[in-house]
Parts: sequence; C-alpha cells; structure tokens
Amino acid sequence: MRSRLSRSARSCLASLGALAAAAISLVATPARAQVVEVDLNNASFHEPSETSQMTVHNPGATLTVLPWDWLSLGVHYEADVVSGASEPVKAGPLSSPDVISQASVTDLRHLVSGSFTLSRKNTSITGSYTYAKEEDYKSQSFAVIAGTEFLQRNTRLELSYARGFDKVCNTAYPPNRDPTVRTPLDSSKGCFTSDAKRQQLDIDIDTFGAAWTQSWTPVFTTQAMLSFGLLHGFLGNPYRGVVIGASGQVAQEHHPENRARFAATLKAKYYLRGLDMSVGGSVRGYRDTWDLLSQTYELEAERYMLPWLRLLVKGRYYNQTGALFWSDDYTGGEPEYGPRGQYWSGDRELSPLKSYLVGGRVLGTWKGTREQRLAGMLLDFSAGASLDVIQTKLEDFSLAGREPDDTTAFVLGLSVHGGF
Amino acid sequence: MKKNLGRAVIALGLLAVVVPSAGCATVRPEQRSILADPVMQFESESPEERQLEHVLENREGSFGGGSVKGGGCGCN
Repeated sequence: MRSRLSRSARSCLASLGALAAAAISLVATPARAQVVEVDLNNASFHEPSETSQMTVHNPGATLTVLPWDWLSLGVHYEADVVSGASEPVKAGPLSSPDVISQASVTDLRHLVSGSFTLSRKNTSITGSYTYAKEEDYKSQSFAVIAGTEFLQRNTRLELSYARGFDKVCNTAYPPNRDPTVRTPLDSSKGCFTSDAKRQQLDIDIDTFGAAWTQSWTPVFTTQAMLSFGLLHGFLGNPYRGVVIGASGQVAQEHHPENRARFAATLKAKYYLRGLDMSVGGSVRGYRDTWDLLSQTYELEAERYMLPWLRLLVKGRYYNQTGALFWSDDYTGGEPEYGPRGQYWSGDRELSPLKSYLVGGRVLGTWKGTREQRLAGMLLDFSAGASLDVIQTKLEDFSLAGREPDDTTAFVLGLSVHGGF
Repeated sequence: MKKNLGRAVIALGLLAVVVPSAGCATVRPEQRSILADPVMQFESESPEERQLEHVLENREGSFGGGSVKGGGCGCN
C-alpha cells in the first residue's frame, strides 16, 4: 500500500515537475524586446437622404502589448455615435402614406474588449471577451480561436467559436400576449432599470468557424472559410411597428425566435510580377433557416505606388433573396398561419435586394529600426484613408408604396498605426 | 433531398482532391518574400475591413464566413 502510494505520489510529483518545467521553458523563451502597438481609427457613415440623413461615427482605439515572443495582450475600445431619423411604422402600398412618419434617432454605443494570444512555434490560441452597451441593448461575448501551421508553414488551419449573451430592451408585456396586439417600444427611456413598463429579452448567439489558408506557389495563395451561426431569442427591432390589418392596425415587428445561418467563402490572391501588383477575388455564399439566400462577389487590386505608399481599389456585388415570411404588405389577405401570416417584418434587410460597392484606400507605411527609430521613438508608423460608396437596390421594399431615398451611403475611414 | 445529396457528394469529392494536393504545394521559406508582403495578406481583421463589415451587416440580411466576433448590436 505504502509502495503504491509512494509510486502515485512520485508520479504526481513527476507530472507537476514536468508541468513546472514546461511553464519555466515557456517563460524562459528568449525574450524579444518589448513592443507596444497603438491603432487609432475612425469610420464615418453617411446616407445623404432628404428624410433620414443617417450619420454614424465609429471611432476606435486598440492597444497591443507583446511582452514576450509567445504572448500578445490587447485592449480595444470603440463607439458608435448615431444620429438621423427612421420610420417607426412600416406599411405597404395598400396603406395610406400618412401612416409613415419620421422619428429622430440618436444613440451612443460603447464597446470594450480584451484579448490574449499565446503562440508557440507554429500554433497559436487567442481568447477574447467583448462587452458592448447602448441605451436599449447590452452584449457580452467570448471568443476562442485556435490556429496551426504545417507543411513548411504553407498551410494554416484555424478553428473558432464565439458565444454571445445579448439583452434587448422591450415594452413590458406578458409572454402569452398575442403578437398582433404587442405595441412597439416608443423610446429607450427606462430601459435596463426597474421601470415596470420595460422588460429585457435575451438573445443567445453561437458562432462556429473554420478557415484554411494555403500558399500554393510563391505568388498565389487562397483562403477558404466556413461559418455556422445559431441565434435564439428576440430577433426583431423592438421600435418597429408593421401595419398588419386593412384597418391600419399596427403591431410590433414579429420574427421567429430561432435562426440558423451558414456561410462559405473562398478567397484568392495572386501577385502580378510584371505590374508589381496583387489582385484578389472572393466568392461567398450564404443561406439561413429563414430561407434567405445570398451571394457576394468581390475583386480588388493593390499596388505600391511608391516604396512607402500603397493604393488599393475594390469592387463588390451582393444580392439576396427575401426571407420566407417577408412581404411588402401584410394587409393583402395572406394566410393567417402561413409564414407571412404568422410573422411580419418591416426590416428592409430581409427583403430581396442587391448592393454595389466601389472603394479605395491609400496607405503610407514607414519602417524604423531598433537603432534608428522614427522620430526617435517609433519602430513603424502607418496612416491610411479609405472611401467606399454603397448603392443598394431594394427590389420589393416600400414605405406605403413610396421608394425610400436613403439607398446610397458613403463610408470614410481614417487610420493611424504606431509601433513603439 | 436527392439534389442536396448530390451536392454533398460533389463537395466531398472536391475536398478529397483539393485537400491532399495542398501537400504537393511546397513554397520554400526563401521563396516567401512576396507571400509575406502586406499586399498578399487576407485583411479580414484589419480595422478598416471590420468597420466596413459592420456597416454592411447592418444594411444586408446575411453575415458570417469572415471571422468570429461578437459584441453589441449597433444596428440602428
């Protein structure tokens, strides 16, 4: 007995010793000089419409510290500053245009996240936590990404998982209240407090991903990605009302509580030696259990105009079918318990649409050395500016028969990066 | 059902051909200078791409197939 105990104790000590040795060897890896990276960026989105004039500013800042070769730590903050107007009631061509009114929208969303990456030889694992809050929506999410490289680092495989725990504010109503008599949320006042007129509803989000990046030749590389997502909970917009009766009856938007989505993307990049330019393309297919089917096609080209200056141009085409229960007008005698009778939506994102994007970016990059830093302190510095123009063609969406005019959008991006 | 099965068989067949062929693609370390250049990197994680993706997700009905992420709605 004593001998067995002693053997198990020895084995336990040996295991602990091995673990400690592994930890020490990890920590004792020759340390690279410490590096701190700072990224500042802002994207401004604007829809030049006569009615909505939606503008969103999205500033962000990221601090990344690399204390050792095997560890990277990051913190990130970003905000969404929203102002404009939207239509709180969606009506179809059979309704009077008077039903449509404008409501001003202002909101401020904060997002903070922290992440770590452990790297060892050809393997890395990243963990992150994100918290976001706006007046009527809260979100927490955890993500893990594990990747490994092999075949002389020509092949990289990556697996990822993220879990989101979101909460959305809504009008307080008993769970068994008929959806046809639920009223839309009129404002975010009282949200996430003990106000008896408000409740919070859960949204659970699971996302699984896999990516395979492959170098085929010295100038050709590809990336294939699969993504599978499950959403469960309140998946509508609590502010949006939809006219569902010929008499003008308005009910809060009512979507199914579950949605499973699947996407597959294939990207490729090729370097044209004669032109000193990289060209790339991607194809993406998407399908979900709301029967929304979409395809995305992208092309881009990037070239060094000067040794320190890169220019990128790109184009994108996207088209989607509508969700199974989508209708521009729910007052036209749809079957009561058919997909369009049971659920109703005023969300233009669920209607059939096409979208076109053209854009470009200029990026200047300057490199220093440890002995000769830029401005006496920077290892590297880059600054970029981008502009994208998006045109959306709504094929079946109207506001009481009127075509919306907020279908063109401009996105201006600015970014600065510094490594110390 | 039969159609889906056929698609699955074609997809698996393609994978069975393409995946092992990755082992034949040998780019030696000294040949990687162009592949290592930023213009040959897939930039789904760059700040500009993430912000543009955020905009597109709020204007279109589909997302995914890019990268794993989470956090907030921001969908007004």
